[in-house]
Amino acid sequence: MSANPAHTLVPGLFDHYDIGGFYDEMFASPGVPRAHYLKFFQSLAAMAPAQFEERRKLADLSFLLQGITFTVYNDGRGTERLFPFDLIPRILPWSEWDHVNRGLSQRVVALNLFLKDVYGPQKILKDRRIPRKLVYSCRNFRREMIGVEVPRGIYTHICGIDLVRDSKTGELCVLEDNARTPSGVSYVLENRLVMTRTLPDAFQAYEVQPVGAYPVELARILRSLSPREQEGNIVLLTPGIFNSAYFEHSFLAQQMGIELVEGRDLIVDGGVVYMKTIRGLTRVDVIYRRVDDEFLDSLSFRADSLLSVPGLMAAYRAGNVALANAVGNGVADDKAVYAFVPEFIRYYLGEEPILRSVETYLCSRSEDLRYVLEHLGELVVKVTGESGGYGMLIGPRADKARIEEFRQRIQADPRNYIAQPVVPLSRVPSYDPSTGSMGGRHVDLRPYCLYDGEKVIIVPGGLTRVALQRGSLVVNSSQGGGSKDTWVLLGDN
Amino acid sequence: MLSRIADSLFWLARYIERAEYTARLLDVNFHMLLEQTQQTDLLRWNPLIVMAGEHERYGQMYDEVNAKNVFEFLAFREDNPSSIVQCIGKARENARTIRDRISREMWEDINGLYHAVGQFNPADEMGTGPHRFCTKVKVGSHRFHGVTEATLPHDEGWDFLRVGWSLERAEMTARLVDGQGRTMLEQPVPAANNYQWMAVLKSVGAFEAYHRQYHSSIEAEKVAEMLILHPLHPRSIRFSMGEVQSGLRGISGTGAGSYANEAERLTGKVLERLRYDTIGEIFEQGLHVYLKELMGMSNAIGEDIAQTYFYYAAVA
Repeated sequence: MSANPAHTLVPGLFDHYDIGGFYDEMFASPGVPRAHYLKFFQSLAAMAPAQFEERRKLADLSFLLQGITFTVYNDGRGTERLFPFDLIPRILPWSEWDHVNRGLSQRVVALNLFLKDVYGPQKILKDRRIPRKLVYSCRNFRREMIGVEVPRGIYTHICGIDLVRDSKTGELCVLEDNARTPSGVSYVLENRLVMTRTLPDAFQAYEVQPVGAYPVELARILRSLSPREQEGNIVLLTPGIFNSAYFEHSFLAQQMGIELVEGRDLIVDGGVVYMKTIRGLTRVDVIYRRVDDEFLDSLSFRADSLLSVPGLMAAYRAGNVALANAVGNGVADDKAVYAFVPEFIRYYLGEEPILRSVETYLCSRSEDLRYVLEHLGELVVKVTGESGGYGMLIGPRADKARIEEFRQRIQADPRNYIAQPVVPLSRVPSYDPSTGSMGGRHVDLRPYCLYDGEKVIIVPGGLTRVALQRGSLVVNSSQGGGSKDTWVLLGDN
Repeated sequence: MLSRIADSLFWLARYIERAEYTARLLDVNFHMLLEQTQQTDLLRWNPLIVMAGEHERYGQMYDEVNAKNVFEFLAFREDNPSSIVQCIGKARENARTIRDRISREMWEDINGLYHAVGQFNPADEMGTGPHRFCTKVKVGSHRFHGVTEATLPHDEGWDFLRVGWSLERAEMTARLVDGQGRTMLEQPVPAANNYQWMAVLKSVGAFEAYHRQYHSSIEAEKVAEMLILHPLHPRSIRFSMGEVQSGLRGISGTGAGSYANEAERLTGKVLERLRYDTIGEIFEQGLHVYLKELMGMSNAIGEDIAQTYFYYAAVA
């Protein structure tokens, strides 16, 4: 089990590595790799820093040439940036993944049942297991969806559920759900490709579960939604080239062999959706949409949407077209509703949650609000309807003025905020080009869960996002985060 | 195929072709005309600016027509929409919007070219001359043709690319001959003119073919004949228009002798003229008048293609 620190044959990469009081995914204690990291550590320890640097540059170049970039808009021009990729993988032994897999499946099924209920008979509201007021006040609760029958009763075709490992307990727990249009899965596939090209020797030392089946499974689920008997026409709806996830949209469309369309390519006539082709109009049956609810249809939602397909909601309600994910899912991944997901699991499935959630204070509850306001300096405060790491307060990192600003905002609109204790995220060694050596960096894990109405399919692993800035806890790509390849092993080491 | 995708394929090809053509002209003219010291810079460089269709813009940006300015203007200026870097940027942008529809190799190729071109430092290049830069662009365009030919199914998408390439090429050749012809008339320096027509031939890669065909010295009329009427040289207007026709027929499935839309009708009409007109007749009615008419028709063909395949009227 334990390894001899003398494995560090070549001076370099791990010379001054400091676990720093966090759970380190690679090291059980200073210089002692965990069993499932041992082989990787050995192959890396035998590598000189210059050699490693060379491989790293190769990986970067590969991403650049493939145009795997995302767009940042800070400078008004929209510049393309590489999504930084760190070569040290996040490795999970099979037994741990198996546990996570079962926990995620349970959670996705419960979220789907909740959506079906809340836009249907609303039994859970009548049984008072979640306050009606809380549900109805969600920014992304869509009254337009009440009573709508969605194809095959599936709402959450694709869920990205963010997990973090709490350094205090060493346990992976759920930080948040993304049941609307989660992105990042293309990086899972591309990271793997680049990884196998860049460090083939290290990769070969393990039996790593493949991730390539994702597009195939997604396409199968999309096909099953077609309202027509005959082979349906499936498209992926993107906001277009200026969207930060555009690369992913085109990547998935290509991998699934379906048409990538923008709002302006579609037209609704007589309650049926068509796409404009060089041969005239062609009917569309299933839309995998990567456009947010409020921009989908200017007749139902935001009238100023430039991405909109006017009349789409009418076609959807009439059952002439299927949408994945369903409209209105935002009520399930609202950060205040998050606190009730364990309750959903008990209520709908009669089971105890397999994965722990992070303790959450709802500012809409007066006793929670009081606590939050008294402990702002220790808590993470989040806006309930936001995603992407925007609108967050990390108490211990914030100055007085920022804390006061949040205090006033919370008091003005308590429903819109929740607070959680700061989770000391686990770390994985990551290369720091400025020092030419490894440093511990905080990570999370976003597995992508597909739901076909009967079972949940999860590609082993998911996207490990890493806060590459030293000490940072924010892993979002829009906030300077990067990613790692995630290896789920066939066995435990 | 989605109309938007057909549109992007068409323009992707046009921008690549425009970049390559501009690079060819810059390269040849710069290096050949270095030897012709007694000529004025205006005579050397004006045809290129005319050919790029950017005469007016150039006038607003620069006081003087000289090699350095023209090189900067045609190769690097971000505020010149016809500059090579702008054309390659737009070609890549079009490719990016349809990267799910083109082969991965095509995308990586054009993306690589875009990054390669962006790495040139204009100040350095203007010191060493345009050869290195222009070669990169030319080879890049050729490689893109090759990768496309070898990895993209030769279906209607391929035909839209082919139509875009050929239509742009026909227009550029027409502008090139027209620009040269007009400058020649404005400042008749006979010997220098021959030298310039030689540059024209070299820039389209037709110098050797010219000699095989005519066994004579360089003469304006023969060069024009070669570039306008030659049935087989890939940069002649006639050949390019033939490619446009063949691409359009591939898309619509129309057989020879008939047409399915306005673009095909006009292409057929242009081709009839190019087949049966002689260079004597063309010079008789005036080279400029003739080419202007051709360019007008070529423009109309582009618009008709857009009307037929790309645009949908807003629904009532």
